[in-house]
Amino acid sequence: MLNEERVVLMTKMASYEARDGKKCLAIGSYFRSDYIGWQVLKSIISATIAFVVVFAMYIFYDFEIFMTEIYKMDLLEFAKSILYLYLGTVGTYAFISYVVYTIRYSRASRSLRAYYMNLHKLSAMYKNEKKG
Amino acid sequence: MTTLLVAKQILLTIYSKYEVYITPLLKFLLALITLCLINSRLGYMETINRMTVVLIVALMCSFMPMNFIVLMGAVFVLLHLYTFSMECAAVIGAGFLLLFLLYLRFSPKDTVVVVLMPLCFLLRIPYVVPISMGLIGAPTSAVSVACGVIVYYMIHYVTQNATMIAAMADEETAAKFKFIIDGLIKNREMVVTIAAFAITVIIVYLLRRLSIDYAWTIAMTAGAVVNIMVLLVGDLIFEINQPLLGVILGTVVSFLLVLVLQFFVFYVDYSRTEKVQFEDDEYYYYVKAVPKVTVAKPEKKVKQISSARSGAGRSTRPTHH
Repeated sequence: MLNEERVVLMTKMASYEARDGKKCLAIGSYFRSDYIGWQVLKSIISATIAFVVVFAMYIFYDFEIFMTEIYKMDLLEFAKSILYLYLGTVGTYAFISYVVYTIRYSRASRSLRAYYMNLHKLSAMYKNEKKG
Repeated sequence: MTTLLVAKQILLTIYSKYEVYITPLLKFLLALITLCLINSRLGYMETINRMTVVLIVALMCSFMPMNFIVLMGAVFVLLHLYTFSMECAAVIGAGFLLLFLLYLRFSPKDTVVVVLMPLCFLLRIPYVVPISMGLIGAPTSAVSVACGVIVYYMIHYVTQNATMIAAMADEETAAKFKFIIDGLIKNREMVVTIAAFAITVIIVYLLRRLSIDYAWTIAMTAGAVVNIMVLLVGDLIFEINQPLLGVILGTVVSFLLVLVLQFFVFYVDYSRTEKVQFEDDEYYYYVKAVPKVTVAKPEKKVKQISSARSGAGRSTRPTHH
């Protein structure tokens, strides 16, 4: 005999697994610190690449002027200012991605909790049916 | 109105019934239009400027995730630009890379806006995107819309100045580089458009979330007005000389298109609003429930007329238990 309530629950859970659940389940397989740490690390790497690209464009933009002035300027000071700029950019970007991924993790774990609750409900239904 | 509602109902039924086929078809069409437009605007590379190549890639896009269209669009643009001028490809490629690294890497759900935005620009109704993203998206959609605007203006700048760039000698790499970057960074029209669209998205979003009657309509109207205002003020401050009539006409057409969207997504009957209060162990609930307007699809009645005796006709029908 078909249990209508159970079929409805199973359909809902299957559609969750196919849509939002896929991402949530993937996120849920990490520990919180692992997930956020890994994502922030990836962000730092992409911010570094982005910084290099922008810096390269900046150099190329005024290449001739830069080449003539490179002998006059204080290279140590220049490198220092670039370093500060780099740290500032990467720091800001890492902070933003930390916030984004913290929110994502907590959202995913909340929705997974609801999913596991439904799973329990489902197994309870099966047990009841066996008894009945 | 009832006819329209019935039509909507039928469309929704057809969509839910054939979703498996319709979604890939829509993706295919979007990819096809995008790639054809890119080819018609930038067709420098002969190899990919062929209908067969476009069709094959569009077919691939139809069963790949939505972001694949964005990727393919970027690849096509870069290949064309590479054939045209190395410097152009380098600058635009760096721009795409930055957009990807800094924003699209977060893989927001509305990445497709980056493709839709330039398309709507070419159709002269770019305003439809910020207003509808405010209605169906989140405030972060403002960043996606901004990315779309940047992509459009980057490509637009290159196509507009193609003769100028081509006329520069090959040895003038540094000068070319400077010319292209200057054009992109000092493009005031782009900055004003980004500001206008971002403000529009946020205002539309804030207003449609309000718990007032006709929130969506108010949000759309306010969004359209604010969009025109910011564009005009920006125009006056930075002396861009945007065609005023084009902006207003484009906004009106966009508004009408968004009305269609509203009809499909959020068509409710405010006269039957119910306000209820209840409580459970943890909360008090103040609920405002606005019913959606729906009509029952008229059922077709098939009357069987047969010359056979009535008893025979009845017995052929399958019965369900």
